[in-house]
Amino acid sequence: MGPLPRTLELFYDVLSPYSWLAFEVLCRYKNIWNVSLQLRPTLIAGIMKDSGNQPPALLPRKALYVKNDVRLLGQYLQVPIHLPKDFFFVIFEKGSLTAMRFLTIVKLEHPELLEKVSRELWMRVWSRDEDITEPQSILAAAEKAGMSTGRARELLERVSTPQVKNQLKETTDAACKYGAFGLPVTVAHLDDETYMLFGSDRMELLAHLLGEKWMGPVPPAATARL
Amino acid sequence: MGPLPRTLELFYDVLSPYSWLAFEVLCRYKNIWNVSLQLRPTLIAGIMKDSGSLTAMRFLTIVKLEHPELLEKVSRELWMRVWSRDEDITEPQSILAAAEKAGMSTGRARELLERVSTPQVKNQLKETTDAACKYGAFGLPVTVAHLDDETYMLFGSDRMELLAHLLGEKWMGPVPPAATARL
Repeated sequence: MGPLPRTLELFYDVLSPYSWLAFEVLCRYKNIWNVSLQLRPTLIAGIMKDSGNQPPALLPRKALYVKNDVRLLGQYLQVPIHLPKDFFFVIFEKGSLTAMRFLTIVKLEHPELLEKVSRELWMRVWSRDEDITEPQSILAAAEKAGMSTGRARELLERVSTPQVKNQLKETTDAACKYGAFGLPVTVAHLDDETYMLFGSDRMELLAHLLGEKWMGPVPPAATARL
Repeated sequence: MGPLPRTLELFYDVLSPYSWLAFEVLCRYKNIWNVSLQLRPTLIAGIMKDSGSLTAMRFLTIVKLEHPELLEKVSRELWMRVWSRDEDITEPQSILAAAEKAGMSTGRARELLERVSTPQVKNQLKETTDAACKYGAFGLPVTVAHLDDETYMLFGSDRMELLAHLLGEKWMGPVPPAATARL
């Protein structure tokens, strides 16, 4: 047996387009690099509050920049990102609390579906400009990911229970303890050291820290480890 | 003769460590990619509310005006002072030391230093900073790539792989083999 896989924790919120980019790149590499990817649904609103940081979009020039940056990176990373028409309303007014609580309970009860349900939520809000706050929206995402309607409804009913609320809070606190001031945050646990990397643009550096090969954001699947 | 080189403008301030990272990567690739790298000394204080590099950036402004062939080296020596050896870059002797290390004669460096507060130099730095702002800069470094059909403004030192993609060039990591350099 070879060396043990290194743990990578990805703290993310579906409200964050850069989180989606980081997520897709890491999902591609999790079968190529000797790593174990742990997805950790987090609340970006909680990170901002705790750190005193502000979303970049609040600065007009940054808002303009982010729109272009996300579009270009989406093309380069081959992630179908399309900005919502009312960008500010979606991010600042509607938010992602229920969605992230739902992902929290999916992780608790059906961890094997977490990747797919996360992706379907991103596809709704960041590709098709669809709602992710209403119960029917979340159910639709869960069903598209392969969950039965009945099971999805059961989980949805429990999103506001203390267990789920506390778990989301704990994950958010964990990200803050690692020093997060935004999302996505990738935490790499190596033998001798732990690295916290912010953003979707530290993956080549991550490869270097892991002693692995960087083959760009869309690595050939043929090189995937069996 | 092949296609014309694409112009890349790098707006930078030696006070910015990320500017240094962007600068070094682009300096490596300028002889590999079909590009023409234009270095543009800018004042980060003019883009944000900051301080600390006014004289240094004015000095680089006049170096660009009078000795553009020395701009890369003098810029690098200023970064080496502030971001490698934790040395001052605000005092006249500090700036002279950087210029000399870059190969400028002490006499010439002194002459240029005497002119940093003239309207010509102050205005040029202001113009460059305004140009960066017009491109939408909210910080530095900013790399502006002029392609046939479109102009792209990229912020930070971590958009170089994307830049390669936009240019249709190959990304070989931050330290490309020099052997692939175009003659």
